[in-house]
Amino acid sequence: MEKNKKNNGEINVKKYLYILKTQLIKSMTYEFSVYGNIIMQTIIMITSAYFWKALYKDRGSVGGVDADSMLTYIIVSSMLSVLLITNVEKRIEMSVRKGTVATDMMRPVDLFGMYFAEDLGGVIALVFQNMLPILVIGTLLIKVPAMADISALPLFVIAVLESFLINWLIAALFGMIAFKAGSIDALIQVKKHLIRLLSGSIIPIWFFPAGVSKVVSSLPFVYIYQLPLSIYIGKGERAEYIAGMQIQFLWLIALAAFFFFIRKKVTRKVMVQGG
Amino acid sequence: MKKAFDELGHYIDVTWHVIKMAMMTIIEYPSNIAGWLISNPLQFIMGFAIIKFVVESFGEINGWNYGQLAFLYGISVISHALSMIFFVQGWFMGYYVIYGDFDRYLTRPLGVLYQFFFTNINVFGVTDLIPGILVFIYGCAKCEIKITLLFCIQVIVMLIGATLIRGGLYIFLGSTSFHTRSVVDFGQYTQEIMDKSTMYPISMYPESMQFILTYLIPIGWVSFYPVSSLLGISGSTYGGLIVPFITLFVGLLMMALSGAFFTLGLKKYESAGN
Amino acid sequence: MIKVENLSKDYLLKKKEPGLSGALKGLIKNEYKAIHAVDDLSFNIEEGEIVGFIGPNGAGKSTTIKMMSGILTPTSGSVYIGGEDITKHRKEVVKNIGVVFGQRSQLNWDLRLGESFELLKHIYRIDQADYDKTLDVMDAILGIKELVDKPVRQMSLGQRVKGDLVAAMLHSPKVLFLDEPTIGLDVSSKFALRTFIKEINKIKKTTIILTTHDLGDIQELCERLIIINHGVMMEDGNLSQIIDRIAPYKTLVVEYYDEEAPSHERCEMIEHSGNIAKYKFMKKETTAAEIIADLSKLKNIKDVSIEEAGIDDIIKIAYGT
Repeated sequence: MEKNKKNNGEINVKKYLYILKTQLIKSMTYEFSVYGNIIMQTIIMITSAYFWKALYKDRGSVGGVDADSMLTYIIVSSMLSVLLITNVEKRIEMSVRKGTVATDMMRPVDLFGMYFAEDLGGVIALVFQNMLPILVIGTLLIKVPAMADISALPLFVIAVLESFLINWLIAALFGMIAFKAGSIDALIQVKKHLIRLLSGSIIPIWFFPAGVSKVVSSLPFVYIYQLPLSIYIGKGERAEYIAGMQIQFLWLIALAAFFFFIRKKVTRKVMVQGG
Repeated sequence: MKKAFDELGHYIDVTWHVIKMAMMTIIEYPSNIAGWLISNPLQFIMGFAIIKFVVESFGEINGWNYGQLAFLYGISVISHALSMIFFVQGWFMGYYVIYGDFDRYLTRPLGVLYQFFFTNINVFGVTDLIPGILVFIYGCAKCEIKITLLFCIQVIVMLIGATLIRGGLYIFLGSTSFHTRSVVDFGQYTQEIMDKSTMYPISMYPESMQFILTYLIPIGWVSFYPVSSLLGISGSTYGGLIVPFITLFVGLLMMALSGAFFTLGLKKYESAGN
Repeated sequence: MIKVENLSKDYLLKKKEPGLSGALKGLIKNEYKAIHAVDDLSFNIEEGEIVGFIGPNGAGKSTTIKMMSGILTPTSGSVYIGGEDITKHRKEVVKNIGVVFGQRSQLNWDLRLGESFELLKHIYRIDQADYDKTLDVMDAILGIKELVDKPVRQMSLGQRVKGDLVAAMLHSPKVLFLDEPTIGLDVSSKFALRTFIKEINKIKKTTIILTTHDLGDIQELCERLIIINHGVMMEDGNLSQIIDRIAPYKTLVVEYYDEEAPSHERCEMIEHSGNIAKYKFMKKETTAAEIIADLSKLKNIKDVSIEEAGIDDIIKIAYGT
């Protein structure tokens, strides 16, 4: 089967593209949820903006960042959060819980490849449905979220791509716990809170005390939000970005290796036990 | 009168049985127990730590010092926990509407909303409650509050009110699905908005937003107004001993209004197509 | 027992266009189309009847049964069960009904079956003696007691349907609604289920309303059929009455010794090939025996057989295919 797959490489890519497109259409059909999401995200973004405005009030710069940059941070963070929506952990859990894993894995499409294509398709739909509207609304109601140094754009784009992959891998790894634990509702929550609070998505880590900040920086979460956002608002020197992106890349490699290792183990286990 | 008591007794009996079943379900999935025991306290301990970091970086927030913020945070988390125990299902109402899961509630001789919430009672919400109470006690100590009977009554009254306001909001948002026939998984969004508007004093926000949070979406009553009055913080429009009772009143009003909105929506319920 | 008056239900259906461009368009502009899922239905059902609702998918039979059981609110018209309007007094009326809807279970997935029964015992306030008695009766028919301690998630579909049936009957309702109860079941489960329906109808005088696509269900269970299509009642009556109405003819197939076939004045030759000829005649006008007698006077007959419109022909005609 492995050999067969390689021969049909081209067909395979088409298959995943098809999955991606289907998911795209699927996500676009529920238009109210699209508007509902935009409304909710707008409210959150505006509340956050006011929150930071109120904190900064008469202060010029706190933790090396001024109020204006912080507002840009909020808008871009809201946009970024759209890209970082995953469904893979739920899909794995459903497949385990319903007992369809074995048959799902037997299908000619690689299960995790399919989940990745689905998530990617969903995200691409969301770029148009949510991310651009948020950009427009943020620009109109808060400020123009201009990039501090446009020459850093390539770095930013690469950092975002890597954070998408890191985020997806973490989600997939949490999902795989389902093979052992059955239900992972609670663990998904754990993951959500870890990312929410330790990635700098809501409050940047540089506001944490130095010791805490150091510990948090050694985890992969800050490389999901805070690193690309720092590059965007121009916090720090270019050398720091490069150093940060090197660690980000190492995390990506480590998580990917871990993911493939676990995937192999899980696949073998399912094939032997038949789910 | 006798009939009303009889009815009440029946609901209590069913509730008790449902709680027992919820306990049994928990035991079926031990890995979940560990997960919730880590997840919920983790969330609030980290949240609390963040408030501390913010205060350390920025100083007092709109005249609220760290102890007062801890008190506010405690109240906010406790009412959140209570709403999670009783009303969390409201977050998922959209799915029930789309997948036709209200069918079974409609064919049983009990209130639909009652069954929706209580047959899905979330005993794990208790894991939210404990960190909330701890932070609250810490806040009380920091603010050097004298615990009197009146204080206890006020706290309990406002917690009930706050829980009802949250629950009412969940019902209201969930019920929109009857009309839109689509699911917005607004749980996380609500939580985020609630965090920013109940864990920090809303007086830090511009007046237009304060107005909205006071009269239109009465989140201000969940924690800000009652806590301001309890701690005697000036700068809030509403003060006095009566404020916790206003919270209760607002909670009851929210429940009544969103209950009516739900009933209206249920008439448009289409079950699941085939 | 049940009275349905001028029952109608309209839905607003969103028009969806296919493909990516359609999805994009849907974001901006929506067109709605009103459809009459159920259109002015009226009928009565007496106590102890077993009534089958049949019709093609989307004909409105599920919508009808859901309105009758209080799940959907009618656009207009009313449903009375035991003389009371179900829309107005839902909580009172549903005490008298039990519901099993296809593959949707009301059982608690994570716990043993018995726990779901216990909950219903509390919800319907069934006293212990009645509960035990009902469970005994159910055990005699379905052998439910051996399943009571099994977690529902470990059950087969057939076992789960059994569990759901018992759950729906625990409070001894006067009316039992079944929406496609046999869908997806294996032969032996189907048999058990049909036996159950017949038994409780006999023992408890339970009125039973079911929708189904299964010809076996119709043949074995339904004393009365209501055929619905496009939300309108097409036929109402027992099987043979409906056959008489829709297909009041039989077909006589005659085999001769050679290719020559005589005709007959009271029937129509609809097919003739080789030695075989087919004659269609109206049941009211004549009998097969008469025609055979007449034909055999004209020619030697080798063999005869009679084809009667069966239930599947009824379905075909009623469904308009």
